[in-house]
Amino acid sequence: MDMNEIKEIFFQECEEQLAELESGLLKLNDGDRDPETVNAVFRAVHSIKGGAGAFGLDDLVSFAHVFETTLDCVRSNKLEPSQDVLKVMLKSADVLADLVTAARDGGGVDEGRSRGLVKELEALARGELPSGGASDAPKPQAKPAPAPAAVAPTAAPAPTDDSGFQPIPFTFDEFGDEEATIAPSSFEVIFKPRRELYSKGNEAALLLRDLSRVGEMSINCDIDSLPLFEKMDPEAAYFSWTINVKTTKSEQDIRSVFEFAEWDCDLDVRLAESTDEDLPMIPVPFDLDFLNDDSAEDESAVENHSSEQAAAVAAAETASNVSKLAAAAARVEKKESQSAAAAAAAAASANAANAAAGAGQTIRVDLDRVDRLINLVGELVINQAMLSQSVIENDTTGTSSINMGLEELQQLTREIQDSVMAIRAQPVKPVFQRMSRIVREVADMVGKSIRLITEGENTEVDKTVIDKLAEPLTHMIRNAVDHGIETPEKREAAGKNPEGTVKLTAKHRSGRILIELQDDGAGINRERVRQKAIDNDLIPADANLTDEEIDNLIFMPGFSTADKISDISGRGVGMDVVKRSIQALGGRISISSRPGQGSTFTMSLPLTLAVLDGMVVTVAGQTLVVPLTAIVETLQPEAASIHSFGANQRLISIRNSFCPLVDVGRILNFRSMQANPVEGVALLVESEGGGQRALMVDAIQGQRQVVIKSLEANYTHVPGIAAATILGDGRVALILDVDAVVAASRGQSLRGDGALKSDMSLAATG
Amino acid sequence: MAVNNKSAETLKLAKVLDLNEASNLHGTLISLRGKDVAIDASGVERVGVQCVQVLLAAANAWERDSKSLVIDKVSDAFRKTMQLIGINIDHLLAKEIRQ
Repeated sequence: MDMNEIKEIFFQECEEQLAELESGLLKLNDGDRDPETVNAVFRAVHSIKGGAGAFGLDDLVSFAHVFETTLDCVRSNKLEPSQDVLKVMLKSADVLADLVTAARDGGGVDEGRSRGLVKELEALARGELPSGGASDAPKPQAKPAPAPAAVAPTAAPAPTDDSGFQPIPFTFDEFGDEEATIAPSSFEVIFKPRRELYSKGNEAALLLRDLSRVGEMSINCDIDSLPLFEKMDPEAAYFSWTINVKTTKSEQDIRSVFEFAEWDCDLDVRLAESTDEDLPMIPVPFDLDFLNDDSAEDESAVENHSSEQAAAVAAAETASNVSKLAAAAARVEKKESQSAAAAAAAAASANAANAAAGAGQTIRVDLDRVDRLINLVGELVINQAMLSQSVIENDTTGTSSINMGLEELQQLTREIQDSVMAIRAQPVKPVFQRMSRIVREVADMVGKSIRLITEGENTEVDKTVIDKLAEPLTHMIRNAVDHGIETPEKREAAGKNPEGTVKLTAKHRSGRILIELQDDGAGINRERVRQKAIDNDLIPADANLTDEEIDNLIFMPGFSTADKISDISGRGVGMDVVKRSIQALGGRISISSRPGQGSTFTMSLPLTLAVLDGMVVTVAGQTLVVPLTAIVETLQPEAASIHSFGANQRLISIRNSFCPLVDVGRILNFRSMQANPVEGVALLVESEGGGQRALMVDAIQGQRQVVIKSLEANYTHVPGIAAATILGDGRVALILDVDAVVAASRGQSLRGDGALKSDMSLAATG
Repeated sequence: MAVNNKSAETLKLAKVLDLNEASNLHGTLISLRGKDVAIDASGVERVGVQCVQVLLAAANAWERDSKSLVIDKVSDAFRKTMQLIGINIDHLLAKEIRQ
């Protein structure tokens, strides 16, 4: 594995850590005071800092360090995580994310912003309130100057490395630590490394060396848990230490020696009350410079770092480690049952084992590989369908064993298909998390106070859908914050909580994912929307529209109610773009609004873009697939309900309302004469404009799940056709682009010249 | 402990006794089981705890087997690391190098 791959893994892990960081901070913001949440947040920043140090990303390291220092104050209960504090922290998380992105993709970050935040964070660490005098804070000592030493290619997980950053000792002095007294005090340190400490490239001996530098130290090594030689695992951790340190420094200074190892060992540091312990202590008085073989250290550190990374990838390896680890943990447990701290320590080991087991259950796989697999499974499904069809055609005797085998095969392939699709399914969490940043930033910009509540973040949907969801969702969130929610003053005047709420929810509904964006703002100002639509010539001045129709006007192209064009939204490209992107995903969007109470946008999206539930129909001898999601109902037209309209338009009356009848065969140029509606079937579809059309086809063959094959990738784009699929009989069937066909029926041509290439019908016969 | 350097197998320890070396060392010592062993730690520059674990477990095993396992040469780094991590190896050291 070369350095770039390791770096790539680091950045992937950063993404996860950043997500963890943000969700943790948001939890704290909601009043969660669980120490584990604070720890998780701290750990996330810490890991980013550690990895960044390994790659010499100094900007990232120095910012993460300041951030971490402040978080540590929260962790040690010196700083109350109030709303104001968390506001700074959330902003810092955003800057950290920017720095990570900048480190990965190049480019810069807003230096002023990050410098400002560094000052605010440092002020917080000193116990100052966020607003008070943060700007004129003295030049921080806490900021680890990007000294030349920090550039040295050193692996961060090696905690003892002198050439790396070692900023902690002077950082904590600033806080006026109560424990820092002039008179030397005696600390008792109990240090029990766990196996991971070694496997991550840390070395207990080097930690002890660093500890010996803190003060006068004497040590006792507990070797009782050493098993029999033939039964021992050479890479396990058996030794543990009780160390007495006499020092003028604080407990924090001692703990900071173990900074990088503290998750992988049991560590107990406390003021020694009395030295009545009769453990034979060996004094460690001498000069330990001999251990400073930096070059060798660096080399092995890098090596170990890479092996650590490799371990992260190799799930199998991890799995095997877990069992050994569990065994080691069990030994630790047995050994410690005498002491009071034992229970906690054992629980910690057990937790570590659980955590390791949990971590062992995921692997990172290149998306291309998954896609190739999905593609192959698609082929398999098609092949299986073809096979069963030809068996049915050729074997009329119906040998039951063959038929049964085929049925089983069919079930298997369906199951394989479902499982493979599940691989691509991802929770919507990352997208939702990005939204919380947007809410924060936009709310800041427009001076509103807004809270984003998310629900159902773990709802899973195909990765492509997730990727394409971010943009429309961003648009909508911005709109909701900018236009939807009123200013705090107006809200108060209306008797509402001055803090607005935007709620983002995701849930599964009948094989689709439903995403709702709800704000508790003023709702849609229908008068203004209507006036605007009239001004923009979107509707006639005397149009009689229902409330719902007025609400839906905001999805019209070129519609914007913002009085002034702002940076945030209101360039008139908003909601129609959103609607188009959602429709491109095979989804639908609708809005409902209640004046004074807010608006709700509801998006319904398919769970995957690889398969589609379609209705297989025949049009002029061709087989077409109409996406089921577009179809509202199907009906058999009666002669009495068909009405002519104009030269060659026809309407169908359905339950006392008229709906244009669209001859699909005519639009697609499958035939030159209009078909007789009474002989065909009408599919009532809902299209882009929200209006309904009756698509006329000759016959319905059935309903089927089909594997989508891109026409663009395999042939070329065909107007009126969204994609293709291969049916069980091996024939290619085209998937109808309902919106394009409906648009064509309005008189807009499918293509500039109005005519379709005749070879399209050839393609359809496959 | 009876020392018979003449018939003892000599095991020269690697320069760097780190995590990777622990398994090697364990394997080498298993293959020497049942023989008197003299360990040469004179070339050791860096000692990790896991190799010390292996050495101490081996010392216990050899003692049970009534075979001799002595460390007859030590480097400064080896000796000092042992002291640092609180391991007393005096009983393993050959008489002539005891301090």
